[in-house]
Amino acid sequence: MIDKAKILIIDDEEGLRLGTKRLLELEDYFVDAAENGSEGIKLGTTNEYDLAFIDLKMPDYDGIEVLKKIKEARPNTVCYIATAYASYDTAVEATRIGAYGYIPKPFTPDELLYSVEKGMLQRNLLLESERLKLEREKNLLELASEKSRLKTILNSIAGGVLVVNRLGKIVYFNNAALKLADSDKFETGKPLPENFPEELKEIASEYLNADIFISGAKSLEIEIKPNQELVIQGIVSHVPEGENSFAGVVIVLRNITEAKKIEHIKNQFVSMVAHELKAPVSAVIGFLQLSMDENVKLPEEKKLEFMQRSTTRLKSLLDLVNDLLDISRMEINTKQKIIEPIDLKEILNSTLELFSLDIKNKNIVVEKRIDQNLSLINMDKSEISRVFTNLISNAVKYNHDNGKIVINISNKNNFIEILIKDSGIGLREEEREKIFTEFFRAKNKFTKSISGTGLGLSIVKRIVDSYNGKIRFESEYEKGTTFIIQFPIND
Amino acid sequence: MKIQKILLVDDDIDLLEQNKILIESKGFNVITAESAEEGYEKFISENPDACVIDLIMEHHDSGFILCHKIKKTELGKMIPVLILTSATYETGFKFSTTTAEEREWIKCDGILNKPVVIEELLEKFEEIKQD
Repeated sequence: MIDKAKILIIDDEEGLRLGTKRLLELEDYFVDAAENGSEGIKLGTTNEYDLAFIDLKMPDYDGIEVLKKIKEARPNTVCYIATAYASYDTAVEATRIGAYGYIPKPFTPDELLYSVEKGMLQRNLLLESERLKLEREKNLLELASEKSRLKTILNSIAGGVLVVNRLGKIVYFNNAALKLADSDKFETGKPLPENFPEELKEIASEYLNADIFISGAKSLEIEIKPNQELVIQGIVSHVPEGENSFAGVVIVLRNITEAKKIEHIKNQFVSMVAHELKAPVSAVIGFLQLSMDENVKLPEEKKLEFMQRSTTRLKSLLDLVNDLLDISRMEINTKQKIIEPIDLKEILNSTLELFSLDIKNKNIVVEKRIDQNLSLINMDKSEISRVFTNLISNAVKYNHDNGKIVINISNKNNFIEILIKDSGIGLREEEREKIFTEFFRAKNKFTKSISGTGLGLSIVKRIVDSYNGKIRFESEYEKGTTFIIQFPIND
Repeated sequence: MKIQKILLVDDDIDLLEQNKILIESKGFNVITAESAEEGYEKFISENPDACVIDLIMEHHDSGFILCHKIKKTELGKMIPVLILTSATYETGFKFSTTTAEEREWIKCDGILNKPVVIEELLEKFEEIKQD
């Protein structure tokens, strides 16, 4: 014992009390003494003693009563009943209530010390069993909460989890597994149901039939509902057990419907790009081959014309590549935006300057109406310039000779409105819904000789969207188109 | 029936002119149209002996639709109608006209890949005549 044992003596007989105290103190114990029952109860219940010696007969309290009180409050205090009136009945009674032993008065110092020693052994046993009990309770509590926590987690994840034991029987599944396998038939203790995807069953049985633990997982994509309405990825792996063995397989199901849709859109985009890139290249190759073809023998002026037409096609190819790079930069956000207060009037004027020659050649009248006290707007200069360039370029390109372009920029409550109206060829009804779609170009008698990438408006929309702006248009075939953009004014 | 007059339909005016020059250099008479709509008008007004139609024009299936319209006519049933495309390369999606069933479904007599190799075109016409 490293700590001094704490002992309480309760006895109304002064000589015996003090004698015992002194004797135990000499043996290096820490001793408190109480001269009556009530003081004994007070000390014995408020402090944790290792041992207590309780006199059976005291004027105020019966020793049995004192013992009861102390045991109630301090069950690990080892108590002895000391009495000169030893009887079988009181001994039984005392033991029943929780006394560890019984020491007859008068006792010799050896008898006392022997009882103390024995009592201390008992005290240590009590403490140890108390410690074990607490530990066990704690473990059980942790286990229970761990189990329910795990269950809650597994049931709240979006992925399906399904565990099958070595006999191929289901031992666990979560709610998502039911949904993703489009099944309502999982049952623990039963094999995988009939309608469980066959390909996944095959992989699972391949794992179940393995001789030793396989460390890798196998996965495959399965269309659960037709027309790509629900596509899942199933991943099968072993549940390890021991060194080289396994307890069963765990099948994880992931909903990849959205990812598949995006992949499809991406593939479509790529094939559109390929088509758009191939067309000008084919045209140029065709012109070159014709010019060299000995059987055809083109006149010189025709060759020159074909060279000019090739140049036009290659220029538009270059525009297309640049537009694609812009879109790609926007998509992967590599472009660092430099947001600064922008004066739209300035941007408009420099854009119009760019097109001044085309405007003059087509004899187009440009009318500008800009609010006197137009707010500055926080934007990236190159992006807003791009919006103006694409829209004004369209207003010029698709305009008739001697046409008109009206541009209004005005403050409206908490946004700035830009309106660009042309008197050009306009859009037919079926063309209208597609104008922001990549590579869409209206094809009609007017547009035949106008070059374009089909990406300009798609880029404009992406930019406007990135500033939480709105873009809409009104159009009438052969009369003209008006684009209206609203940008929120940010503080 | 000997093929003399060929209707070429393609919305890419550069390719259209190139193919016209190439085919004419082999001694054919070539009529051109720059859209499916114009193509059908020319088919009706010019009575060609064969048609070569670009697949992707205003829409992705403009060529197919024009083929269907042409093959519905008495003349259309009698003459070779070919589809011209580069779509097979890009989309990895394949279609052919090797069986009668496919020809019935696609409503054309053959598929030609872009760019047009004039010898292939003539070969196709020969094959179709022999069928």
